[in-house]
Amino acid sequence: MKKRTLWFLGVMLSLALIVTACGGNSNGQSNSSGNSKTGGNESSGEAAAEYRDTINIAVTAQPPTLDSAMTVSQVALNTALYIFEQLYTLNADYEPVPMLAESVDISDDGLTYTFRLRQGVKFHNGKEMTAEDVVASMNRWLVTSSRAKSLLSGSNFEEVDPYTVKLTLQQPASDVLILMATRANFPAIMPKEIIEAAGPEGVTEYIGTGPYKFEEWKQDQYIHLVRYEDYQPVDSAPSGFSGRKEAPTEHIYFHFVTDHSTRIAGAKTGLYDIVADIPIENYDELAAEPGIKLETFAGGTLTAFLNTADGVFANNVKLRHAVLAALNNDEIMLASFAKPELYTLDPGYMNLNQTQWATDAGAEYYNQANVEKAKQLLSEAGYNGEEITLLTTKDYNEMYTATLVIQEQLRQIGMNVKVDNYDFPTFLETKNDRSKWDLFVASTGYQLTPPQLLAVTPDWAGLNDQKVKDSLVAIRSASSSEEAAKVWEELQGYLYEIGSSTVIGHYNSLVAVSTKIEGYEQFEAPVAWNAKIRK
Amino acid sequence: MLFIKNIILKYEQWGIPVAAYLVKRILSLIPVLFVVTIVIFMIMHLTPGDPASSILGLEASQEEIDALNEQLGLNRPILEQYISWVGGLLRGDLGDSIFMRQPVGQAIAEHIGPTLSLAILAQLIAVILAIPFGMLAAYKRGKLTDYSLMALSLVGMAVPSFLLGMLLMLLIGVELRWLPIAGYKPLSSGLWEHLKFLILPGLSLGTIQAALITRMTRAAMLETMSHNYIKTARSKGLNEFRVMLGHVFRNSLMPVLTVLGQSFGTLVTGAVVVESIFNIPGLGQLIINSIERRDYAVIQGVVLIITIIYVGINLVVDLLYGAVDPRVRLGRR
Repeated sequence: MKKRTLWFLGVMLSLALIVTACGGNSNGQSNSSGNSKTGGNESSGEAAAEYRDTINIAVTAQPPTLDSAMTVSQVALNTALYIFEQLYTLNADYEPVPMLAESVDISDDGLTYTFRLRQGVKFHNGKEMTAEDVVASMNRWLVTSSRAKSLLSGSNFEEVDPYTVKLTLQQPASDVLILMATRANFPAIMPKEIIEAAGPEGVTEYIGTGPYKFEEWKQDQYIHLVRYEDYQPVDSAPSGFSGRKEAPTEHIYFHFVTDHSTRIAGAKTGLYDIVADIPIENYDELAAEPGIKLETFAGGTLTAFLNTADGVFANNVKLRHAVLAALNNDEIMLASFAKPELYTLDPGYMNLNQTQWATDAGAEYYNQANVEKAKQLLSEAGYNGEEITLLTTKDYNEMYTATLVIQEQLRQIGMNVKVDNYDFPTFLETKNDRSKWDLFVASTGYQLTPPQLLAVTPDWAGLNDQKVKDSLVAIRSASSSEEAAKVWEELQGYLYEIGSSTVIGHYNSLVAVSTKIEGYEQFEAPVAWNAKIRK
Repeated sequence: MLFIKNIILKYEQWGIPVAAYLVKRILSLIPVLFVVTIVIFMIMHLTPGDPASSILGLEASQEEIDALNEQLGLNRPILEQYISWVGGLLRGDLGDSIFMRQPVGQAIAEHIGPTLSLAILAQLIAVILAIPFGMLAAYKRGKLTDYSLMALSLVGMAVPSFLLGMLLMLLIGVELRWLPIAGYKPLSSGLWEHLKFLILPGLSLGTIQAALITRMTRAAMLETMSHNYIKTARSKGLNEFRVMLGHVFRNSLMPVLTVLGQSFGTLVTGAVVVESIFNIPGLGQLIINSIERRDYAVIQGVVLIITIIYVGINLVVDLLYGAVDPRVRLGRR
């Protein structure tokens, strides 16, 4: 009996010792870290009295990489924008303006672009940026970025002198600068050595010229960026991704917070200052919160793609028109985005704010909600109750909801419709097998030029149409933007005419921002490099 | 250490070499693990969707996806992939994460800390609540205290941990603002810094286990209390406290220990939802994210490690039986 009691006591004692030992240790550490923090605040001077030294941004997922030329992942690009810069970038009006370049001369035949580089720009490793770095970075972009590969194939950058590079094209293209400034796959300028050391999976070190430098990546937790003290801002007002970047706040953390309710609770409690991708259903809840401001920005389009390559819809334009006639887009958008102020109905495939491309061609096919007409087209098309498969994924709530509404609308005109729902990776794989679906809905961010649209990309939904291809070539080789716009207007009308896809509507995205923030700008991505947060 | 030495000494006293027993148990693990590797490998590779399209995103072309698959070696025959994976395992190499671009072993090492901390805290909470409650309920059997404790434990078992987690987050994190709603800081940033992120998830996980253990403790103690030697102890004039603690509780430990082992196993391996609600970068979070990313090597590695942990905990529990109850002789039939 006594032995046992002793044994029990021994266990408890050793447990207690372990606990106290750990406690003692970490107390010491926490003290020292506390000290260093206050020290940091004192040295950062007058700003410390009023502003915090850290901005916390909550994003939805961990990015696959920060190597921008390799990825179209929004989280990756939105983070990479703080570390890397491009020769040209977008201002708030979606126009390309110089960032690391000073100016460009375009030859009369449109085949040669000569870029003057800014002098005295330093990389985060202290090296000055010169033409060799730009040539290495840009030539890598030409072969890694899917967009550059397909739209600028055969082009090449070369060094003229240490501060001048020349781009030679195979054929003239009206959208070169826009492509270079686009956020998706953006061509980050990195030191030549980093580019040369990059493997097929991307660069191994993140060294750029941006206002923040890469500090730490904690897997499944956060990416930590620190202000780059030697940053050389350009001398123009901030606008979109362009202009002056001052980095008044020393640290930026991008936290990966996958759970929606956690992101929202984090916004409410001030754990995160900027929270991306707020679900629509939480709009009212957060709008009522005093410490939070909700920013909306043009998010993209919700588009329905019909299978023109295989299945019931292939070679049956009448049947596809029956679908277009049946759709009540207002109903679909309201179900998916909950509030009328969060979406716009417009047949345009391009960003409505980008005036060059905005057109309502094809409006007669858009948002018809005409059940009688649809039924008539259906019988004319010789439809005999063949099963129609709608492909979707619950991983994107708006896509799933829209699909269910479409299912109901198509049933009402007498179609036999089923919904196949998969997780996102399976959805992508199934989509590529054209025999397995007839229609799917996707929410996609805006593209800056029509040739980049998924609706005209043969790989995407199997659209293979010579007239579409010819029009894209015509848009790219157009001599003026007016001419290009005219061709696009015709093409958009044609897309509706052949019923290969239809825009359902344009949605706004929501970002929750703390009201204590100053100097924040919401563009295509949260722009916080001029932001500071009151204590 | 002292504790383990005690157990080993005890077994040696009975003439059972613990080392031999351990070896036997570990050898019997091999077929289990072999089956696990086959099952997990097949499930992963027969699930549609591939890592390349998850990495490249919605707008990648088929050609790019094929190129990346080729690079990652995912277009090789499935048997060849399995053999090369198992070959790596035998050399102690779990493979490389496709998405995180680091060895799987390293990824697991980075993620196991938060899970262990959380599991230990939750288990502590469970034990601290459950053992006294269970004892009290048994002691006050048939009284109001007993009934209310049992009703409470029923509720505790019925409420899912994620729901409790969200309620706690709303009440303590958002309304009262006593504790942070989510996140994680390692122990190196200070014990309190570390703990304050773990308390809410620990409570939401621990409560359910506590409910279970309370019921088990009560039942086991009632069973023991019906024995004659308890009457003897009482008639000897021992005070009630010593009877309950020294005689009843000690002799009721066996089933309680089993439940404790199981519940710790569940806590280490099953905190997936709670980890993602509270954004704790543990094994659960790792496996969920890896499934979304179709990061085969990581999923396989984590499942394997979880299997080993689970079996390991069972082994420890089996060894403890012998220490608690001398009638249990391991390794002898």
